[in-house]
Amino acid sequence: MYTELQVTTNFSFLRGGSHPEELVAQAVTLGHKEIGITDRNTLAGIVRAHTAAKKKGIRIIPGCRLDLLDGPSLLAYPTNKDAYSSLSTLLSEGNLRAEKGACFLYKEDVYKYAKDIKFIVIPPTALNTSFDFNIDFKAALKEYKEALGTSLYLAANRSYLANDNKRLYRLAQLSKEYNIPLVATNDVHYHIPERRELQDVLTCIREKCTIYNAGFRLHQNAERYLKPIKEMQRLFMQYPETIELTQEIVSACQFSLSDLKYIYPEEITTKGRTPQEELTYLAWKMAKEFYGDPIPPKVVSAIEYELKFIKEMDYAPYFLTVYDIVRFAREQHILCQGRGSAANSTICFVLGITSVDPTKFDLLFERFISSARNEPPDIDVDFEHERREEVIQYIYNKYGRDRAAIVATVTQQHEKGAVRDVAKAMGLSVDTVNKLSGSMWELTEEWHKGKHVSDHGFDPNDPHLIKVLNLTEQFIGFPRQLGQHTGGFVITQGKLTELCPILNARMEDRTCIEWNKDDIDALGFLKIDVLALGMLTCIRKAFDLTKEHYNLDLTLANVPQDDPAVYEMICHADTIGVFQIESRAQMSMLPRLKPRCFYDLVIEVAIVRPGPIQGDMVHPYLRRRDGKEKVKYPSKELEEILSKTLGVPLFQEQAMKIAIVAAGFTPAEADELRRSMATFKAKGFVSSLEKKLIDGMMKNGYEKEFAQRIFRQLEGFGSYGFPESHAASFALLVYVSSWIKCYYPDVFATALLNSMPMGFYQPAQIIIDAKKHGVEVRSVDINHSYWDNTLEEIVGNYHAIRLGFRHAKGLKEEEMQLLVAARNDGFTTIHSIMNAGVSITTLEHLADADAFRSIRLDRRQALWHVAALNDRPNGIFTGQSAESVIEKSVELPQMRLSEHVAQDYIATSLSLKAHPVSFVREKLSQCSIVTTKELTGMDNGAYVKVAGLVLVRQRPGTATGICFITLEDETGIANSVVFLKLFDAYRKEILRARLLMIEGTVQKEGEVIHVIARKCHDMSGLLKQLGPITEEPATKNSLAVQPEIFHGGRNFR
Amino acid sequence: MQQNKHFLYQINAKPADMSKRFVSIWFQHLTTDWMIRRQPELKDVVFVFAAPERGRMVVKAVSAAAQERGIQPGMVAADCRTILPSLQVFDDKPERANKLLYALAEWCMRFAPAVAIDGADGLMLDVSGCPHLWGGERQYLKDIIIRLRSFGYHVRVAIADTIGTAWAVCHYGHTTPLIRAGMQTEALLTLPPAALRIEANITERLEKLGLYQIKNFINMPRRALRRRFGPSLLTRLDQALGQEIEVLDPIQPVIPYQERLPCLEPIRTATGIEIALQKLLDTLCERLAKESKGLRCCLFKAWRIDGKIEQIQIGTNRPSRNVTHLFKLLEQKIPLIEPDLGIELFIIEAPVVEDLTSAQDTFWNTINGDNAAIAELLDKITGKLGVHSVHRYLPDEHYWPERSVKVATSLEEQPATEWRTELPRPIHLLHEPEAITVTVAIPDYPPVLFHYKGVPYNVAKADGPERIEQEWFLTEGQYRDYYCIEDDKGARYWLFRLGDYKSGEPKWFMHGFFA
Repeated sequence: MYTELQVTTNFSFLRGGSHPEELVAQAVTLGHKEIGITDRNTLAGIVRAHTAAKKKGIRIIPGCRLDLLDGPSLLAYPTNKDAYSSLSTLLSEGNLRAEKGACFLYKEDVYKYAKDIKFIVIPPTALNTSFDFNIDFKAALKEYKEALGTSLYLAANRSYLANDNKRLYRLAQLSKEYNIPLVATNDVHYHIPERRELQDVLTCIREKCTIYNAGFRLHQNAERYLKPIKEMQRLFMQYPETIELTQEIVSACQFSLSDLKYIYPEEITTKGRTPQEELTYLAWKMAKEFYGDPIPPKVVSAIEYELKFIKEMDYAPYFLTVYDIVRFAREQHILCQGRGSAANSTICFVLGITSVDPTKFDLLFERFISSARNEPPDIDVDFEHERREEVIQYIYNKYGRDRAAIVATVTQQHEKGAVRDVAKAMGLSVDTVNKLSGSMWELTEEWHKGKHVSDHGFDPNDPHLIKVLNLTEQFIGFPRQLGQHTGGFVITQGKLTELCPILNARMEDRTCIEWNKDDIDALGFLKIDVLALGMLTCIRKAFDLTKEHYNLDLTLANVPQDDPAVYEMICHADTIGVFQIESRAQMSMLPRLKPRCFYDLVIEVAIVRPGPIQGDMVHPYLRRRDGKEKVKYPSKELEEILSKTLGVPLFQEQAMKIAIVAAGFTPAEADELRRSMATFKAKGFVSSLEKKLIDGMMKNGYEKEFAQRIFRQLEGFGSYGFPESHAASFALLVYVSSWIKCYYPDVFATALLNSMPMGFYQPAQIIIDAKKHGVEVRSVDINHSYWDNTLEEIVGNYHAIRLGFRHAKGLKEEEMQLLVAARNDGFTTIHSIMNAGVSITTLEHLADADAFRSIRLDRRQALWHVAALNDRPNGIFTGQSAESVIEKSVELPQMRLSEHVAQDYIATSLSLKAHPVSFVREKLSQCSIVTTKELTGMDNGAYVKVAGLVLVRQRPGTATGICFITLEDETGIANSVVFLKLFDAYRKEILRARLLMIEGTVQKEGEVIHVIARKCHDMSGLLKQLGPITEEPATKNSLAVQPEIFHGGRNFR
Repeated sequence: MQQNKHFLYQINAKPADMSKRFVSIWFQHLTTDWMIRRQPELKDVVFVFAAPERGRMVVKAVSAAAQERGIQPGMVAADCRTILPSLQVFDDKPERANKLLYALAEWCMRFAPAVAIDGADGLMLDVSGCPHLWGGERQYLKDIIIRLRSFGYHVRVAIADTIGTAWAVCHYGHTTPLIRAGMQTEALLTLPPAALRIEANITERLEKLGLYQIKNFINMPRRALRRRFGPSLLTRLDQALGQEIEVLDPIQPVIPYQERLPCLEPIRTATGIEIALQKLLDTLCERLAKESKGLRCCLFKAWRIDGKIEQIQIGTNRPSRNVTHLFKLLEQKIPLIEPDLGIELFIIEAPVVEDLTSAQDTFWNTINGDNAAIAELLDKITGKLGVHSVHRYLPDEHYWPERSVKVATSLEEQPATEWRTELPRPIHLLHEPEAITVTVAIPDYPPVLFHYKGVPYNVAKADGPERIEQEWFLTEGQYRDYYCIEDDKGARYWLFRLGDYKSGEPKWFMHGFFA
């Protein structure tokens, strides 16, 4: 019997040529009963292998190849749980010593943690000139033997290199001399010999060379594959005991990853209560605080029910852990909001984890927690993005770095990166590599068959190219590096290092583990997502401002609910800056959906998503909502699932439920289906599930067309799914931000501007929108501005907004704080600002931003004065009046308003003086171009020309090739739709124009107006007239890259 | 010497010396025009040169066609592609422009003796006293433009009293390129400040202040300008106006390695030729020594009085300026020279020279592996037997035996990798493996008997197999299993089997002999 014990998977990045799953599967095919997994200084791949092996009914021997800095490498296999913990601790120590991605280990470390670990020494591949091993290897071997005793073995392999026999002979000699048993391995790097080519390419990528100059860095033959037991026995015919000895190690190593048991941390209870008692106590106490005595009977029964369920599943510690983090955030006044499957329970509501009142829904608690899968519940908590780090550090401090760490994300090789890497390694020129990565999508089946020609003229008969593409296909999906999850935390009772090695993250003060989310799930570890959300920062700032200026103490929970005025505003798509529903797609949906209550917002958030759009569920829902179509259900059993959404599946879990109820999937299968959509899209793995789903549904009497739609919807959910509970949590933030915008547009705009960058829009649009709502906005000024935007006295209905220094380019916050601190009664001269410690460059930037108006200097005059400051008396003349005081004043050319506006845009990306398009309006009118405002008066189907600054270009993946362009002129904004063909024809204009004119027909649907483009025209030339009028010779100045004054517009996918 | 000349020149030239005239030439698409010249099929192609900059390919030069379509230097190549998918991007070679300019500068010496390179895409000519030979400045400029355009270059030129004004008008002018003597101020007034060749940040600041044209500030108090923009603005202004001298730094053309020896009397004897050769070699090698060069190739030409040219040529394995050695090499070939009625002129030329430090001349240090002696011996052998009589092999990083060695190009070439010693490799490797028949046990045991060229060999000892796979990126095919074989007479051979027994009957080959 033989067991392969030296296996390098692709988790030894750029070394192993096969996935752990592939190796396990091949081991099963060849009849192996176990397989060892030994990646280099990492355990990152063993969970994958473990999961795969469990499914296939074989066993893996978890292990690791320890590459030491001061000795020959060792293979290490823990024999029991304690030994595994030692190994994991050993690797953690090595990781934490080094930069991310490296692991520094020494012999001493190994000796320290060697208890109950079996070791195999890996001898050098080459012999010296006397056909013997070098003396230092022998010395090391002796030392290992002394330190590790009977746990030590010596690896023997036959890779068909020259001198195999001599080497084996020498090894046998050494084995006898030092009494170290010889054990056979095959140093496996891939599961089948055909993978050698990919493995060679990986070597090239690792060594940063091409296949042509890689030379001896490649392996000389393809023998490092998983070999049949018989073949191994034949190869070691002369040393049969080496084959048998593998079994000694195998039988000693009975440790399995299933033995790892996750234990919740203890610090979450008080007064010696058990977690369940603590949760019960807290739930009732906080319910009383919120609802008063007596608690409404409905809530009582909900809490009782949930507590019972939690007890059954033993989830109390999890809820308490989340509660603890949320409590900390609340104490620190950090705004947070929970979401995720378990977050919208009554208990989470009373504990303050979420502010969405569950009584507003009728959701069954266990619908969120699938007891069948026995997965831990899932609660993600969003925090203000500027302050999330405090929460993270709180967790590290409370539980210690040895007990809390962030989950890893295994960065996978994506198509573009894969083709680039492979093509580079295959020696293609940089230019070709670029072309190839840009045109991968063209190289389809049809292209292979020669039916379709690629734009760049790639030849399907070019064998080298085909090889590159073949290898790329194999390479896609390979793990490439361990990254840090955005905020998934693992917290344990014992030392985390005993469960899994931890390593330094790229960011300072962060440590993470080697396993990713799926690995954690597979082993049943608890994970809490601590995420960052910009809108929470904005809302927090808004709450602070309302408190300061309107004396209102707001929280997420006490913002007045169900306010009709707020919904009225939302119905008119007056939602620039509002959370989630500010995008073009959302804004054009709002007037159609007309949300009138909170649940409508939940639907609104979920409906404009790839899932429902790809599943073609949007229009049926709208028709049914408008009463144009009767609500009917595909079957009785689906009525229960779909009743709330008028028979149309909109949420992720609805689609999954349908797969379960209608197609007979198990919950686990349904979940696997959804997951696999995202990861295996390219692999054809999905198609078998697709068939299963559609066949299953048709067998149960559903229409094929409906089944296909469900499948497409699931496909869309794969990467961007929204379950109902997520949508509900987001809907709350939508409502709160809308409420603030509705009643306090001044506060809203200020908070939003102070939280930038976030959302879809530039500050200029936020300010224009605020002005439209009657808020006065004042420009940046040395005597009035602070770093952030601030509210000044009330003008009309609202406080006036004073723009902060943060909007002016080139200013630094610390320096502006100096300026503010020295301001006292206000500056009267530029000199006094400089004396406050503000540098001349900064003063220039201030002049550029036209911030000297309060001392009656426009930007030019200010700059003229600032420019002379360099030349002020110094040395012994310090204090004497500068020459500029006595210097004759110089007439500078007057600046036209349009020039000021252009300069405003350069310095602050916005202008309060006028809209740039207003200066060219006359010219536009001459070309019979209408304003965006005039569009509202147009008839459906009218042919118009409209022009404006390009705000957003969006080509969503769901709308095949359609480009949505948002234009802005001095009267408002207009949306236009450009279809693929037209886009290709006017690609240059669309991508380059700052001022774009679109000619086309008006399409009206209620309040929603789109211009369907027929022609596009780049009118950016007109904007140049805003600047100075000079003759423009076709010479050098037009050759250099001109700094772009206007924002090029944001491009979205 | 050079410095002094300039010095004198400056003193003699009065600031208002109106006799000075300068021509500025600006190649608007220098490298791309050159590319089209080389590959005329690119004429209608939109293309750019780009080079990596902070991880992105940035456009460095654009063709005229690309510029028309809005592509500008400084843009990111990928962005340009999204706008213009048909855009071709070639790798930019940073030294290319300079080389080109240098060649153009040499060519332009036909117009004026002093030609300087101006920035990355221009030339500056001191043409004082030249234009009248062309019949006036207008004709002169026209000739420059026409000739350069006929090469395919987009050029702009301008002529003026000062370098500054000529440059300004060339790059920014929009009326006439011919600025008459003393008319600098008028020519500059409407030009933008950038025309003064000042730093971008000063230009930017001037424009921010609304000073878009030189006339906006030319009359401002000089102190006010200096305090705000530093001395460089005023210097540039004065230079353009001719109030301050600006010195041209003309290129120095390379003088070819060539020596001439005219004879008073026609030479007809071998001794005479030898003397001439000796003299010419002395002077040539003296110059080579001065410049730390050595020659790799040498031409010795003899001009006969009947107009025919006799010529002999030698090459060396490494750069040399050793007169004795070179003389010996050439001497061998003197008999090939047919003096006939006599030779009136000898010329020696070294068309290929390489750097050679001077240590060699002092001592021949063979201990340090300096193989000058071997090189000179090889020079003699190849001189007699022909270039292909001697080979030198170096190791190459390939497992495949045929590719594991390569022929060295010179004696100096160092192996890029160590010779592998840990593996048995035959002293004599056959160019082509030769088929043998064997008696062997399967699957991978060495043969017990084989026939090579009809002769049977009994195998006494064997080692192997060493499996070497095809280098799949170069050739497809089966792997080889190599065996080292010793026959019963003690001779050793390197045999291999192609492929294995799973897929049919594999063939066996002889591939080499051990000593």
